[in-house]
Amino acid sequence: MPNSVVLLNIQSDRIDAEVQIPLSELQAAFGHAVNDSSTGLVARLGPDLREYLSQHIRPVSLNGQPWAVAVGALKVQETKNPINGTYRELTAQVRLVPPVGQDVRQFVFRYDAVLHQVVTHKILVSVRQDWVRGQVVEESPAQVGVIELDIINNRIPTLPVNLKTGSLWTGFRAMVQLGIRHIAEGTDHLLFLLVLLLPAPLLVTGSKWHGFGGVRYSLRRLLLIVTAFTIGHSFTLLLGTLAWVKLPSQPVEILIAVSILVSAVHAIRPLFPGREAWVAGGFGLVHGLAFADTLTNLHLESGPLLWSLFGFNLGIELMQLSIVALVIPWLILLSQTRIYKATRIVGAMLAGMAALAWVLERVSGQANIITIGVEQLADYAIWLVLGLALLAVTSWWQTHKAYSRTLPG
Amino acid sequence: MRKHFVIYALPAVLLLNVITGCKENEDDSTTTPDFSTSITTVLSNTTSANTTCGSATGLAKVVCLAESFKSTLDATQLSAVQLTYSKANAQRWSNLPEGLYRNRVGLDLASLDETQLAAFRDMMVAVLTLNTSNEGYDEMLGNLVADDYLNTAGGGSTYGAGNYYLAFLGIPSVTGLWELQFGGHHYTFANTYNNGTIAGVTPSFRAIEPMDAVSANNKNYQPMEQERQAFAAMLGALSSAEQTTAKLSSSFNDVLLGPGKDAQFPTTKQGLQVGSLSADKKTLVLNAIQLYTNDLDSETATAFLNKYTSELDNTYIAFAGSTAVTSENDYIRIDGPSVWIEFSYQGGIVIRGTPHPHSVWRDRTSDYGGQ
Repeated sequence: MPNSVVLLNIQSDRIDAEVQIPLSELQAAFGHAVNDSSTGLVARLGPDLREYLSQHIRPVSLNGQPWAVAVGALKVQETKNPINGTYRELTAQVRLVPPVGQDVRQFVFRYDAVLHQVVTHKILVSVRQDWVRGQVVEESPAQVGVIELDIINNRIPTLPVNLKTGSLWTGFRAMVQLGIRHIAEGTDHLLFLLVLLLPAPLLVTGSKWHGFGGVRYSLRRLLLIVTAFTIGHSFTLLLGTLAWVKLPSQPVEILIAVSILVSAVHAIRPLFPGREAWVAGGFGLVHGLAFADTLTNLHLESGPLLWSLFGFNLGIELMQLSIVALVIPWLILLSQTRIYKATRIVGAMLAGMAALAWVLERVSGQANIITIGVEQLADYAIWLVLGLALLAVTSWWQTHKAYSRTLPG
Repeated sequence: MRKHFVIYALPAVLLLNVITGCKENEDDSTTTPDFSTSITTVLSNTTSANTTCGSATGLAKVVCLAESFKSTLDATQLSAVQLTYSKANAQRWSNLPEGLYRNRVGLDLASLDETQLAAFRDMMVAVLTLNTSNEGYDEMLGNLVADDYLNTAGGGSTYGAGNYYLAFLGIPSVTGLWELQFGGHHYTFANTYNNGTIAGVTPSFRAIEPMDAVSANNKNYQPMEQERQAFAAMLGALSSAEQTTAKLSSSFNDVLLGPGKDAQFPTTKQGLQVGSLSADKKTLVLNAIQLYTNDLDSETATAFLNKYTSELDNTYIAFAGSTAVTSENDYIRIDGPSVWIEFSYQGGIVIRGTPHPHSVWRDRTSDYGGQ
């Protein structure tokens, strides 16, 4: 039978808990027909449920002082696991606040919702987020313990919680790593930037890309684009995280896909020659809003939030710069050869295809064969860079050799 | 040339990944439904093929049949089925299908050919009672048939007779310590032998889904129905005052002492003392107990039933839910100085919306043969 799950988000002066209780189990304990009719359950029984939960969730400090417990949002949702198949569960947001001066990281968790009546029930307690310990990713909650009947003595034990001490530095470092990972996994962000860099070493004549503009010219333009992108997304990351700007994530994600499409077209035919930096900056604003979503979802308090903002952005820049540094030399070499045009056009077309597929995915909410493929391909990115390097070096060498042979000797 | 290589390699790699990346993750358990159907067909023919163990009796016969079974195996199968005895291995049973548990020891029935299956059958017939409908060997067979049904009724390849495992923990002998362990999703059989005698026949786990009759090989099976009826009769015969005493205030959606809950018998017995009941009501309690003990060969069954009968007055019965034993959260417990039996009706897993029972028989002193 399905278990209850308690996920703790540890803050500096309180714990935000999410409690998940399977309705089939709750019904036997709560005494109302909750599982028989879960539609409108929260509207119908909200106050009773909140009352029930605050009676059965009672953390106390080590000196026995009870914590304040406030039951917030309630929701009923369908969930699934391989052992129990599909079932419905109640999700409750519960705020646990220790008395003034009492440690938030050490307490006795008295929790017997459902279990006080259904003695075969189990409650799995885990920490989902603990900033000062550097645990910020929701993927793998760290189990604190299981609350279940002590069968031998027929009583319900309490769960002692004793979290290791953390530090500001640990939290900050984790945020830098999160930023790095975010870009490493953010195929769409990288693709936008790389495709925008494709024509950067080139001169433009009229409405066509032309030959190589020289190393200094290329570097200047490349750096300008990267810097503009950084300024753009840092700005909205700040605004979005501090909740001064809030856009729903779907249009933002669609705009990001559109930004790749625009830069892909531009790489084939110059749409905005010489104004790439402005475009990078403008679309950077959109990308930053998506970064902000990641931070907002962590629900951090203001202290850690500022450090997180700084660390997360630092991680993003570090990763971005290292990838740009990995690619730029080959672009500069390759742009001096005859095959650059083909490389640029094929690259831009593939990126455009991916962008269209993303637009489709983000409008429909359904992954498609191309977006799945791109995500798979991203795992081999290092081989693509190596291939690019190999191509650049060999063609540059061949071009150079041909050129030196034509010189009068 | 190189230019073309990169231009073509990109879409090719993309395409390759799309093709390989879109496959569903399939369960990798080894059973084929077609074959597990034939498993129960072979096992349902109970005419013995064995010619060498006919004159042996008791434990000597079980050992002889175990050796005969082992002689049909190849080296790989033999090393899978014959393990050293350890408590840790003995505790590796579960009420989960193998695809979710993935921790059973021994050899799966799916990997046996017809000759090997027949030799396995001859051995099981020697340790389980034969020719009693839905009890003993027939109950085990019904359990396999029901699991085959779950396989076809939406449960998929993790269910089915082929996913049941046999292991010898310790070498079968008429002197040493060894356990005959056989089990899968809804069935665990564990006979422990030591110093030439049977030292324990528990933990013994019996459950079924679906509860309704399933049919195979021109026969209907309903392995847990007689147990259910015996419990309902036992509870229904009680006076209302006795029922009040026997009724537990807690609710149960499973048994307490299922897999992994070894040596956790409650210190205090709950419910109604059987010693306070009239003779006919005591008989109804014994009737329920017999449906567990009498699954075994008659000699073993008698030994355990005699022990439980002599301790009957100090045995307690308790229940939760209703006395009819038909709905989810209905629960019965028989808790004696030695015997421990639980029966729990709980929600359906593969067949949604229909309850199914789990049941466990343990012994306070001889679980795992006292090891």
